[in-house]
Amino acid sequence: MSNNHHTQTEGAYIPETYIPHPESHGTKSLWRTFWILLGITIVDFVIYFAFGASMVRNLVFIAFGIIKAILIVGIFMHLNYEAKFLRWMIILPAAIFLPYLVWFLLVEGNYVSLVKYF
Amino acid sequence: MSNSSAVSSSSIWTGGRSPFNVSYGKLMMWIFLLSDAFTFSSLLVGYGAIRFSYAGSSTPWPDPATVFNHFPFAHGLHLPLLFVSLMTLILIISSVTMVLAVEAGHRNSKSEVSKYMFLTILGGAAFLGCQAWEWSQFIAEGGRLDSNLFGFTDAAHEQAKNLKLFDHVHWEAADKIPGPVPFASLFFIVTGFHGFHVLSGVVINIIIWLNVIGGTYERRGHYEMVEKVGLYWHFVDLVWVFVFTFYYLI
Repeated sequence: MSNNHHTQTEGAYIPETYIPHPESHGTKSLWRTFWILLGITIVDFVIYFAFGASMVRNLVFIAFGIIKAILIVGIFMHLNYEAKFLRWMIILPAAIFLPYLVWFLLVEGNYVSLVKYF
Repeated sequence: MSNSSAVSSSSIWTGGRSPFNVSYGKLMMWIFLLSDAFTFSSLLVGYGAIRFSYAGSSTPWPDPATVFNHFPFAHGLHLPLLFVSLMTLILIISSVTMVLAVEAGHRNSKSEVSKYMFLTILGGAAFLGCQAWEWSQFIAEGGRLDSNLFGFTDAAHEQAKNLKLFDHVHWEAADKIPGPVPFASLFFIVTGFHGFHVLSGVVINIIIWLNVIGGTYERRGHYEMVEKVGLYWHFVDLVWVFVFTFYYLI
């Protein structure tokens, strides 16, 4: 049981106990990601005080949020290095349904405001 | 990836190997996190729809800058965004110590895993402390699950746009009227749900850390459990990115 993560021999695959051999990619990319995340947060902070509230500013904040999310999921959560099918299994449902939910939000929220106040 | 025989994508699904090339536990953690991502997205989308629905109201949605503008030991000053930026910084730092623990686990270095896990737990506890302080400020000024005193008249809104560093105390005293209730209730629900995730993350991290110190994973020969809690911890950070964006920046 203790060494089943080392090599997987053909025909001895047991799904419940299979563990692929971990590969270290070093700490360089991790620190670089940290500095980028920190930098984006500082830029967020500066933009917040440098520009007044506007739709463009909101879109910039959302774009930065998405960039941060991609970095966290890709590098920190290691998804960039995972097998192709795992990557798509996680990314596709989110990429399809989240824009759909957001679209609902834009339409419905506006409509409620319209019938309530105008 | 590590299989020696070259495999075409069709034979990946014929059995005998993991098509995802991860352990069962890690695959389940990924699927759980995907479902949790939908839970948080629904909360944030609901928040957005309700906020949008107040667009034409006579008591408009409060500007976060006029509500969350406190900093510890700087009472009475108008300091929007500063405190939540500090919380974001704490969470990013605890994320990087977590991923360093995972990396040390790949090299089976028990002392390093234990050190970085401990630092991650400290970061999580610091974040929870900050959130407790943030909540107590919000409650003290009239935010409740079922009521909200952060309503502003049009004049107060105009005034809020030009608020200076030292104007805060005088401005606070004036123009407090009941505002949109969902502003307060959704604040408690969404940051509370996220905070509860952080709390569970800290508890799970402590359990895994004790196992690391006790040598459980050294005997097992691999530190995969650290990877799994790492995934969960980074997810908490990921959610905070969007809570930060939609609650405080916008």
